[in-house]
Amino acid sequence: MSVSVGGVSVGREPVRPGAVRRTRREALRGAFGAVLAVALVPVVAASRPTRSGEDPGDTAFDETYRGRRIHGVLKGSWQVTVDGRPLHLMRRADGTWLSMVDHYRSYPTALEATRAAVDELSPGRELREADGQMGQMHMGGDHGVHA
Amino acid sequence: MAYTRKDVSTLTAAEKRRFVAAMLEIKRRGEYDEFVRTHIEFFVPDGEYGLRSAHMAPSFLPWHRQFLLDLERALRRVDSSVTVPYWDWTRDRSASALPWTKDLLGGTGRRSDHQVTTGPFAYAAGKWKITENITDEPYLTRDLGRAGAPIALPTRSDLDGALADPVYDVSPWDSTCRTGFRNRLEGWGTGSGSASWRNHNRVHKWVGGVMLGGASVNDPVFWLHHAFIDLQWSRWQNRHRGARYLPAKPPGPGDDQEGRVVARQQRMPPWDVTPEQLEDVSRIYRYA
Repeated sequence: MSVSVGGVSVGREPVRPGAVRRTRREALRGAFGAVLAVALVPVVAASRPTRSGEDPGDTAFDETYRGRRIHGVLKGSWQVTVDGRPLHLMRRADGTWLSMVDHYRSYPTALEATRAAVDELSPGRELREADGQMGQMHMGGDHGVHA
Repeated sequence: MAYTRKDVSTLTAAEKRRFVAAMLEIKRRGEYDEFVRTHIEFFVPDGEYGLRSAHMAPSFLPWHRQFLLDLERALRRVDSSVTVPYWDWTRDRSASALPWTKDLLGGTGRRSDHQVTTGPFAYAAGKWKITENITDEPYLTRDLGRAGAPIALPTRSDLDGALADPVYDVSPWDSTCRTGFRNRLEGWGTGSGSASWRNHNRVHKWVGGVMLGGASVNDPVFWLHHAFIDLQWSRWQNRHRGARYLPAKPPGPGDDQEGRVVARQQRMPPWDVTPEQLEDVSRIYRYA
């Protein structure tokens, strides 16, 4: 109770060894962190095996949706772009997907989650280039590269 | 001595003014964006590896309780009279009434791009430029009630459904739990219909704009919403005397959730605090 947000740097030791992930801020601090961040960029959605199965045919999409080019390919993990910019998708334990844009509900497929993210983009606005990297830091560190 | 968090509909003109001024000041100092980043960083979903402390996890409530305390502490360094008000969305359900007034949070976004153009957090007012975001807007966005495909805020009955559950949380301690107070309140459901997002989650969706995404903290209403969520934890404790935070002990070897959730007496990142230490905050603040 005595820790302020300035104290985010306090108490970072894992609750259980190996359980806690490196935060984005940690990762971005220092040379090692910078290298790590760059190394992780291509891995957009490293996912755990899910309880429900995945349609094996559903491994790629490439279409124009509401004027936006959306592209996704499942290479161990989903790598998705909207107008060429990375969209970070996250997986729920039930096998559904959510994106950084639409974060408080999930969709049955990566394609639907991507379309839902486009639905939320205002005309003329784009994803920030940093999204893929920022999102990747969610899983960061030792737990980010299981794909 | 404990301070009081008030219902936003009961704030005086001076209290609103001072809350807004303190928010703008911590934004100016650069402290506010740290909160936005922290929230983005700690959204670890349950379909991926790693410890989940903020969402889809039992510590959803204590994590946001500590997050609110930190924000409040920052505000009170600016003005010691300020506390975070709560927005009771079961009662204040209009997109044009509090907290969406010009003297507090401003209103919904304009139709063309959802940019908020009224109130102290409007971009044109010059004091609330969004720098940590998922999309490239530098301005606050909202779509209250989702004008294009309207949805309703959760009701008193929806909230009561969560409060009535006598068990804090259940295995597997994630977004798939169909019972337990925590997930009934956090609001992860099954399927893809509107029933799949309830209570806490549904309010994020109702506000729309930046509140819908990972950078939801950019909208000051985040704090008023989460103060009300936090109040529900206290109400639940009052209703179910003796009921405690669960899990009491960490999931053991062989449990899929081992190392992925915070047990009652474990440290809850990023803080050096345990859920147990946050179960009773009556010496810090109370709700009016």
